[in-house]
Amino acid sequence: MTLAETQALFHAAITGGEVSPAALEACFAGTPALPAADRVGIYAEMWLWRQVEALGAEFPAVRACVGGERFPELCRDYLRAHPSEHHDIGRLGRRLAEFLRLHPAPERSDLGDLAELEWARSEVFCEAPASPVGREALAALGPEEFARARLRLVPALRLLSLAHRAQEPWRAAHRGEEPTPAAPGPAYLAVWRAGHDVLHAPLDAAEARALEAALAGAALSEVCASFAAADQPATVGFAALSSWLDEGWVAGVEVVEDPNRPAGAHGALAPIEV
Amino acid sequence: MPLERPALGHGVGLRTQHFPSYLSDPPPVDWVEVISENFMSSGGRPRAVLEKVRGEVPVVLHGVSLSIGSVEPLSERYLADLARLVRWVEPALVSDHLCWGTHRGQYVHDLLPLPLTEESLDHLVARVGQVQDRLGRRLLLENPSSYLRYRDSTMSEWEFLAELCRRADCGLLLDVNNVFVSGKNLGFDPDEYLAGIPADRVGYLHLAGHTDRGRFLLDSHAAPVPEAVWALYRQVLGRLGPVPTLVEWDDHVPPLEAVVAESRRAADIEAEELDRARRLAS
Repeated sequence: MTLAETQALFHAAITGGEVSPAALEACFAGTPALPAADRVGIYAEMWLWRQVEALGAEFPAVRACVGGERFPELCRDYLRAHPSEHHDIGRLGRRLAEFLRLHPAPERSDLGDLAELEWARSEVFCEAPASPVGREALAALGPEEFARARLRLVPALRLLSLAHRAQEPWRAAHRGEEPTPAAPGPAYLAVWRAGHDVLHAPLDAAEARALEAALAGAALSEVCASFAAADQPATVGFAALSSWLDEGWVAGVEVVEDPNRPAGAHGALAPIEV
Repeated sequence: MPLERPALGHGVGLRTQHFPSYLSDPPPVDWVEVISENFMSSGGRPRAVLEKVRGEVPVVLHGVSLSIGSVEPLSERYLADLARLVRWVEPALVSDHLCWGTHRGQYVHDLLPLPLTEESLDHLVARVGQVQDRLGRRLLLENPSSYLRYRDSTMSEWEFLAELCRRADCGLLLDVNNVFVSGKNLGFDPDEYLAGIPADRVGYLHLAGHTDRGRFLLDSHAAPVPEAVWALYRQVLGRLGPVPTLVEWDDHVPPLEAVVAESRRAADIEAEELDRARRLAS
């Protein structure tokens, strides 16, 4: 057999492909105590075990919800649909939320949202560092400059728009409690890193809409328009912006000449419907 | 060109579970080895820990996903990430495994063995050259733990490694535990293996624990170094002299102090063996 043929056969044998016992015997040498098929089986077991371990480390709350016995089976199904395409095994779970939404576990339609929360936390954990600015960055702006200014947000920040309150089973799982299904949403969560710790917190719809606008590179006038329906829009908007600065979400405030020019600082997010 | 073996001493693998210890109270180790792929991302705590550690002790980069033996082209993305990491860390050594682990763009995240044939050898020589040219430095390859043998293989693993090192001008990371595990699983004599490897190409050693699964030994890295592997380590030192040595522990990871204690034991054994060699010579 050529090297290419050998690798194709081996790969199929350990990932659940169709390989006849005769083909295995022709390629690999076994012994009476440990036949070739059993030897290949050791690699098949390790292939699954290693990736189950990696997914379990990234998604401990999903694993707690599914149960330790069912979790490897879920991982096997997921890996068949989305085999690893990145050299970092830590990226393996990139599409687990999508998979769980398409193939929800019985009576757990919230697991896709829970996986999205855990994945966002995982991404934020390793995101590039940035030096945040404080309230003085906004205080230095005049009224005209304020309207035209844009926020440059830190890379280690995500906004999630979820159909369930995924933070509930997440909290229960991390406390070692029974992670019962999450209540229906909508739920908006900010996920960010403070020092080396990853945090998440719920936002109301107006603040989520404002943060979404800021992430998309909108001018502050547009960001603040998200609070127009509040009793005291200016006060509420100022409080929200101040809290973003206090939490270290803002890496810079930039005044641009043309506020309609898209900044494109962050990738597109799912639109928030209020 | 002979391999320059740095006098690193005795180290341990830098693992996530021990990050707090490294941040608060640096352990008494001579050097650390890190899994390259775990530090290729941009930031966060892993990067901060490595930034601190690299200022305190030498670091060796040890990869698990290069897939040097795969028939598909080397991943440009991987090589770029690795080259960037090498520039930042300035490692004492860079290593990966004699294995393959990708197929049609998919990673199996395991270290699959190669048939030990002329075709494999030609393939690896070219690929190692490609990596070394890209990194501008020598690559060391580790002998894997094996559970099977290919019927097409025409040479022993030690013969294959010797020829690979000679033709590709690469180095060898000799995993003593893997020699023991593969010897049991495939039925070869570890003494013959150690006699056959090119001693002047060995850049450093790995020590680890394994698990007896009854019909085979599993390279689990989940236990202390067994006495049989310590004995083999003494033999290696007798042949090679002082070699940088690292203790790996990746599953059921104990407190850092326990891993460091294993590393100190390796240092004590090396001192004993060198003393014995000196006494015999005099």
